[in-house]
Amino acid sequence: MTCHELGRLIDPYVDDELGPDEAARFAEHVEQCEACRRRLDEREALGRLIRAVPYHRAPEHLRQSVMTSRRGAGPRRAIVWAAAAMIVIGLGSAAGFRVWRLSQATSAIADTIVARHVDAFTTGLISVPSSDQHTVKPWFQGKLDFSPPVWDLGAAGFPLLGGRVDTVNGRKVAALVYQRRLHMISVMIWPLDNRTAANDARTIRGFHERHWVEDGMSIWAVSDVNDSDLTEFVRAFRSAHP
Amino acid sequence: MGQRSFEAVVVPHLDAAFNYARWLAGNDADAEDVVQDAAVRAFRFFSSLRGEDARAWLLTIVRHAWYARLSSQRARAVSTEYDEMADPRPDESLGPEALVMQRQTVERVRRAVDQLPVDFREVIVLRELEGLSYKEIAAVVGIPTGTVMSRLARARERLLAMLDPALATGDAS
Repeated sequence: MTCHELGRLIDPYVDDELGPDEAARFAEHVEQCEACRRRLDEREALGRLIRAVPYHRAPEHLRQSVMTSRRGAGPRRAIVWAAAAMIVIGLGSAAGFRVWRLSQATSAIADTIVARHVDAFTTGLISVPSSDQHTVKPWFQGKLDFSPPVWDLGAAGFPLLGGRVDTVNGRKVAALVYQRRLHMISVMIWPLDNRTAANDARTIRGFHERHWVEDGMSIWAVSDVNDSDLTEFVRAFRSAHP
Repeated sequence: MGQRSFEAVVVPHLDAAFNYARWLAGNDADAEDVVQDAAVRAFRFFSSLRGEDARAWLLTIVRHAWYARLSSQRARAVSTEYDEMADPRPDESLGPEALVMQRQTVERVRRAVDQLPVDFREVIVLRELEGLSYKEIAAVVGIPTGTVMSRLARARERLLAMLDPALATGDAS
């Protein structure tokens, strides 16, 4: 392959869209070709820069209005939303109550997660110290009735330090510990039980927290790192799927 | 499908929907309207969602909602004012000079992405910020995967040229 032909592979290479053979050939060429290596470095540096741009999260009031389908911002929209609201009411006003109950339960669990993260510093953060996901994941076997996702995110700047079994509201959960500079990030995982809102972000006593659902698992991340680092962490964790 | 509620399937992707709409629209107010419109459409078409990825499905609807609004208000002047975006949190481990540098760099990159034509901007946002695969981007935007690849390549060359002329390789095509 010539440099010119390879030039067209550079984007699918950084985007992980090449087959293994092509990727290997490309990597081999880059080893030997100074110019292509420079272009690849540029591309990767650019990717990191773009991903550092703040992510626009949906404002809370928008989330609420979509969940309850009630708010109208203009006369035309008011009619549309009224229609949507009627459908929702038609389905049962229990939905509204469920949203409320869900948010109460989510707050309670969010509080507990922060408490467990803080307590862990005194009771022991890590039972299985390892940065290897292939060591940490099997360690949970026989200790939990589910198999949590475990990823080493060292390449993304969040090395895995290890894991432990923790207890949240009487349930045994998987706890993973990651590091960002001098900060620790705890990730707590258990099978989805539908007792919490599917997506949640909040700040409690200076700790940032995120909750999301993935492959039937309820996943919480909590840390005192700054909010954008935690956002980056969550993105790295969620895109770590092979 | 029966057990999956709208709330459980769609709401988790609201951030993605808003982020995409915000990059398309360029300001918070329009982005919120787009996401509201999209939510109404998503609600209406929810029963048609089968096995597909809900996020890509929702993003496709967001894109339709954005274009529908755009064509209905083409007469209205496009707002050029910049909404002050949430400043990235400072990295405490950096000194004051490095902090200023970091903030300036992030702001320059944000502006550069914002200045891309929308066709380029959206593939960059979907790829770099949402982490969508070429196949998923192709489905959302409605173009072949080969076009996704070439648009990404051209968008990146433009960004490199905008961000630092010395960085660009000059091999843009």
